[in-house]
Amino acid sequence: MRSPFAIAALGLALALSAGCGVDTASPARAAARFHTAVAAHQEAVACALLTPKTAEKLPDPDETCAQALAALKLGPGGRVTGVDVWGDDALVRMAGDTVFLHQFSDGWRVTAAGCEPRHDLPYDCEVED
Amino acid sequence: MRRIKDNALSLAFLVMFLLALAGQAWSGAIHYNEEQLVNGLQPVSVWAYVTSSSFAVDVAENWQSEYLQFLLFIVLTVWLVQKGSPESKQPGEEGPETDHEQLVGEHAEPDSPRWARVRGVRLWVYSNSLGLVMGTIFVLSWLAQSVAGLAAYNSERITDLRDPVTWGWYVTSSEFWNRSLQNWQSELLAVLSMVVLSVYLRQRGSPESKPVGAPHHATSVEG
Repeated sequence: MRSPFAIAALGLALALSAGCGVDTASPARAAARFHTAVAAHQEAVACALLTPKTAEKLPDPDETCAQALAALKLGPGGRVTGVDVWGDDALVRMAGDTVFLHQFSDGWRVTAAGCEPRHDLPYDCEVED
Repeated sequence: MRRIKDNALSLAFLVMFLLALAGQAWSGAIHYNEEQLVNGLQPVSVWAYVTSSSFAVDVAENWQSEYLQFLLFIVLTVWLVQKGSPESKQPGEEGPETDHEQLVGEHAEPDSPRWARVRGVRLWVYSNSLGLVMGTIFVLSWLAQSVAGLAAYNSERITDLRDPVTWGWYVTSSEFWNRSLQNWQSELLAVLSMVVLSVYLRQRGSPESKPVGAPHHATSVEG
């Protein structure tokens, strides 16, 4: 092995893991769509933007996802203030919420929303998987 | 055929390396997808896995420790000896040795490498080229581990509903040092074992061993 190979390997690792040309717009749009649907009381639309596991976990046994989401009365998301994308996972900071997402083959889905930060602990989220 | 036989050791390790890397990719993808399904996420292709930060950090952390091991072995054996070990020089021969012993400058032979015959920077670079290249690969692999590890770690943190961290935070974290040190300790133990066991044990026909009948106190004798 020669150093050019190692340099190439490093370049590959940097490109792959640091994520050159990371698409931050798509998760931001998905988070905004989720909050727009909630604000418009289109809970079924919002539920369709959740990951299957989150949508399954949200309702009690005698209610639907849409009913459970309506009962939570999530506050408005507001404008997007920051996006972090690492691999297939993203965190979208909005003026009124922090939304966690995962990328599926058909696009970004919300894993958690209605989240409050807790100092260096996991966020406390009203909707989570 | 002659060419293959003359390079059989390199070729054997190259083939084993590629098979092991392919096996790591295949088994790693299966393991990764088991975790994906447990977490209610979609399985990924082997290609998607081998281009992920998870695979990159696993590869890089092993590479850096292997190159560190050989770098230390190459450099420390210049200055440190182990009496009785075929991996060591004779006690009293510590150091870079004379130009006459190293066949450099005016002591070079007709078929010596070109940079061994000249003086100055080129001779210094060539005299240390093995250590320099191994050291460079170690540093780059370790850097790659830190970058790929940061990406994999931040992906996990977001999955766990935590804020991602910076590179500076990551390279001073227990996660990064645990990954590094768990590899280093095993590599250092392997070198220690090789140096010490080869004093007393033999592998007939191997240049890494003393001849079977060589005494335990014989140093720098290869079979």
